[in-house]
Amino acid sequence: MNKIWQFGLFVWLFLVSLAAFMWAPLAEGLGEYTRILYFHVPVAWVTVLAFLIGAVFSIVYLKTRKIIYDQFAEAAGQLGILYCILATVTGSVWAKVSWGSFWNWDPRETSIFILLLIYAAYFALRSAIEQEDRKAALSAVYSILAFITVPFFIFIVPRVYSTLHPDPLINTRAKIDMDGKMLTTFLSSLFGFTVLFFWIFKRKIDLVKIKLALRKMEN
Amino acid sequence: MEPIYVVLIIILIIWCGIFGYMLYIDKEVKNLTKKLKKLEKTEINEA
Repeated sequence: MNKIWQFGLFVWLFLVSLAAFMWAPLAEGLGEYTRILYFHVPVAWVTVLAFLIGAVFSIVYLKTRKIIYDQFAEAAGQLGILYCILATVTGSVWAKVSWGSFWNWDPRETSIFILLLIYAAYFALRSAIEQEDRKAALSAVYSILAFITVPFFIFIVPRVYSTLHPDPLINTRAKIDMDGKMLTTFLSSLFGFTVLFFWIFKRKIDLVKIKLALRKMEN
Repeated sequence: MEPIYVVLIIILIIWCGIFGYMLYIDKEVKNLTKKLKKLEKTEINEA
């Protein structure tokens, strides 16, 4: 069963990639760069999802005080950072060809950079405290506070300040201005990337469980 | 650079990042599972 849905996901993502290149039309003004939308935006979306899951597990940890939930929150944070770096790097490559340089301190770039710093500090905090309970409690509180800034930096700042970045999917008039084929490809990609994220997260959870079991046996 | 190559580079970065990380996790899971099984066997033998 596991193999079947893994194969299904692979086929799904392959079809999305094909649709992005051969089926979906190009957007006016963006030309070939339109295709980036189907990969760069889902990666940014998964970043938000990972940080949200991290915050939820942090709340669960603070309620139950079970160390496993702190480890789950850390795993989600690690994935969030990975996706955030991928979104930043790919956005930066696009900025080089569109705006002339890799980094322009555009509101969108600045906000994602600050977000990266906030979550880098989460891991710095974790590595700075040795006592496990204290580390877990402080990290949980920090993770919740850090997530409060995510909607602000990802959704609000780029809409409030004028930016060179192409319009977000849901624009300032709260409408989706997108061709039907483009929207289908985009939503399919978003779905595929989300399922892929949950697959990787499940593997991370397996890893956490094995590590805890090992620690138990070694003690 | 031709726009289509830029698009391909960006997609390549994303897939390499995701699949590279997946392979890394997979390897770690396999190694630690082996270690865990070994420890379990030793404990059973000792018992």
